[in-house]
Amino acid sequence: MSSTDSATPVLELVDLTKTFPNGTRALRGVDLAVTAGSVHGLVGANGAGKSTLIKCVSGVQPPSEGEIRWKGRPVQWRNPGEVVASGLATIHQHVPLVPTLSALENVFLSEGGPHRMTLSMRERFSALVERLGYEIDPDQQVGTMPIGSRQMVAILQALALGAELVIMDEPTASLSASERLIVLDAVRRLAADGTTFIFISHFLDEILEITDHVTVLRDGRAILDRPTADLDESELVQAIAGRELLAAQRHVAEASEGRETVLEVEQLGAEVGVSEVSFTVRAGEVVGLAGLLGSGRSEILNAVFGADSTRTGTVRVDGHAVAANPRAAVHAGIAYVPEDRVSQGLFVDQPLWKNISIPYLDRFSLRRLLPRERHERERAQRAIEELGIVASGPDALPSELSGGNAQKVVFAKWMHAPTRVWLLDEPTAGIDVGAKADLLGVVAQLAAQGQAVVVACSDFEELLSVATRVLVVRGGRIVADVEAHRTTEEELITLAHGLGSTPREVTHA
Amino acid sequence: MPELRTAGRSLPSWLQLSNAGVVYAFCVLVAVLSVATAMSGRPSYVSPNNISNVMDQAALLGIIAVTTTIVLISGNFDLSVGSVAALGAATCLVLMPSLGFWGAFVAALLVGAGVGLFNGVVVQYIGINAFIVTLGTMTAVRGLVLILTDGRTITAETGAARDSLRALDASRWVTPNLYLIAGVALLLWGAWRWWSTRRAGRPVTQLNVLVPLGAGVLLVALSPVLILTIELSQRAIYMLVIVAVAAWVLRFTTIGRRLYATGGNAEAARLSGIAVNRYRVVPFVLNGVAAAFVGVLYASRLTSINPTGLNGFELTALAAAILGGTSLFGGLGSVVKSLIGALILITLANGFNILNLGANYQGLIQGVVLIVAAGMYTIALRRRQRVKLRTVAPAPNDRPSGSAAEREADLVATGSSEQR
Repeated sequence: MSSTDSATPVLELVDLTKTFPNGTRALRGVDLAVTAGSVHGLVGANGAGKSTLIKCVSGVQPPSEGEIRWKGRPVQWRNPGEVVASGLATIHQHVPLVPTLSALENVFLSEGGPHRMTLSMRERFSALVERLGYEIDPDQQVGTMPIGSRQMVAILQALALGAELVIMDEPTASLSASERLIVLDAVRRLAADGTTFIFISHFLDEILEITDHVTVLRDGRAILDRPTADLDESELVQAIAGRELLAAQRHVAEASEGRETVLEVEQLGAEVGVSEVSFTVRAGEVVGLAGLLGSGRSEILNAVFGADSTRTGTVRVDGHAVAANPRAAVHAGIAYVPEDRVSQGLFVDQPLWKNISIPYLDRFSLRRLLPRERHERERAQRAIEELGIVASGPDALPSELSGGNAQKVVFAKWMHAPTRVWLLDEPTAGIDVGAKADLLGVVAQLAAQGQAVVVACSDFEELLSVATRVLVVRGGRIVADVEAHRTTEEELITLAHGLGSTPREVTHA
Repeated sequence: MPELRTAGRSLPSWLQLSNAGVVYAFCVLVAVLSVATAMSGRPSYVSPNNISNVMDQAALLGIIAVTTTIVLISGNFDLSVGSVAALGAATCLVLMPSLGFWGAFVAALLVGAGVGLFNGVVVQYIGINAFIVTLGTMTAVRGLVLILTDGRTITAETGAARDSLRALDASRWVTPNLYLIAGVALLLWGAWRWWSTRRAGRPVTQLNVLVPLGAGVLLVALSPVLILTIELSQRAIYMLVIVAVAAWVLRFTTIGRRLYATGGNAEAARLSGIAVNRYRVVPFVLNGVAAAFVGVLYASRLTSINPTGLNGFELTALAAAILGGTSLFGGLGSVVKSLIGALILITLANGFNILNLGANYQGLIQGVVLIVAAGMYTIALRRRQRVKLRTVAPAPNDRPSGSAAEREADLVATGSSEQR
């Protein structure tokens, strides 16, 4: 930021703050300077404020306070179009290209003029491809391209708009290893050519390899801001995770040793994201699945429940094999709290009591045919009281509830039923602190009742506070099995990122 | 309109305008037609004779509207029923000489079930959009009818089989005094209210107990003087029975509950252990069977079937279901309201005839009514959602601390801050 810097910052953020109307402070005064022609890495845990930062910079949301300086001049962007016009392009993780149009048409999508394709466009396209150093057939339909190539088309689109700064939000998250190399190569090449990049990634090896400068965000603040050359892995991990965990927060393993095995998973596989997964869960045990987004942790739960019909391998509950479909799983006593409660867990326009009784409707019904509404309502009323669901009553609709209360309804669906196993996929995602504590309490209570619980969570601190044992998942496999009270958040982060050759090598400060 | 809406606040939810709009619309339509007929000196629109006519004309449409509604609730779409009905009729008439009426009748129903099963399996297991699949079967089945009939009208030959065919839809039944029936029903309802209020420990001198009881007593007492009997044709009785059974299954059984769940959110239903495939395929089969049955009924009165008969029937059935507030996205709908939708469509046509207004205007009016009805449902639904957000927004104080940071409450929070 100082004037003695040889390279002037192309983008500068000064004390950027973003407070949402409901009081959430996503950014608490972030300073950031991106030098022209550099690749600037931005890392941080989920919820650290990366997305909000990008939204502010790319004009999707206005910052509450602070200043954005673009090429030295303070700017106040009102809409994303203005931002793009001034030379700053953002490539989102899910690339918004038109799958039915060709690469050429996508690249020049926002081009005016009466013609869909012109010769000059083709010339400019080949010039851009030249700069990128990656061959793309201009006439191929984008929908038929592999994801890596689509990223390339998105980059070309940004370049065609004359972008000087390109923000890439987890460009490599869903890419194969070879595709990843291609994208990284292109970034390096274009950076050498003078284009500036802000590169967001969960893969720390990638960050260390490609960036010139790294900023770590945590709780809405820039915790660390240094040239990559001065950094090493463990420093980065420390910065992302923040404080040492308080030992007191730990859920000390209950004496579940010696209790009977409830859930046995053997050689579990699925077409997408799961291979050779085997583990067992005893009664009263809470097993955490620790992994990054896309690591396969949700897919494993999906496969265990049989929601993925391509599942292979065996799942046993109390020694009995369970067929690979959700119906069989429910009959066997497996409860499943899905990742996306609105689209997978709830019937948003049906009252709570109908939502809660649906998995075990037979138990509420006369001769399994006639549901007895009075019982269902009583059940819902009891759930509302026990779980502290803030709702007007059993007739409230889930769409009226806040995230935490809606999630409690999803839990209520499976409670007071003959369940043996609970599969929880991100049970606390998008939930406020109070409800989070309530739900974690429910999880502990389930375990105390002798249920076998498997919980996937991207917040490792939280995972450690509730789990007795943690399985680290990467690439659809279980790469480590650690006792929760013998590990740390840093170790889990390291393992989940695939850093550190052996688990115990990493020391913590 | 505003009066109705404020009155709706105190009404039970199933009587509110947004839920029962189609019922009010039907009442208004009947009232307008009654006044119009009375003023023009024609026989009263609500005469027993005309009511019985309307019921008879609505019967076939009503039956198909019921099963079409079930398909819509399950989250699918079926355009093939008109063709399947014609195929059912043709199958029945073609096979009657060799199999006799009942054999041919069963064969027709099986053919209907077969087409329905095909639709359902292709939609659910192969995953082609239901609109496309049933558009295809609609066309193909119509072609099949042309092949089967060689493009000519088939007429049943005189004989025992033809007599059985006619007997399927020949008799008529005169209802007992409807005022008496209504009175007894109200008394029973009031008695049930009395009993349940007593059991809940509340005083029984409440309006919702006394009103039905009083009205029941009044109607029963007046029934020797007030007499309304309607002659129902057999097809109207079929329709009423089918509506009643379907309404009961949808409202009171686990089957109905799971059907709505499947249509409302198939993924959540699947993850709750519901056999979603079954609940998506069976409605198609029901629709096919019902269509074939309707085709046979259609043929039984004419004792013949024209290969282009019942063309466009599926669209009228869909229109009836939409008038009844059935959602095209599944999970929402009621067969009784769809029946009333069918009655509205038939009443419009019938009213035009009675008032001797140009029949040319019929299509225009029906189309406008359909769009207005759908628009009203959409607006009512949107307003209800908005009202819900507002009423929920001021969070009670017994919330756990820190709930202000809730991400998903954003919408609610902004909604309430606007209000304040």
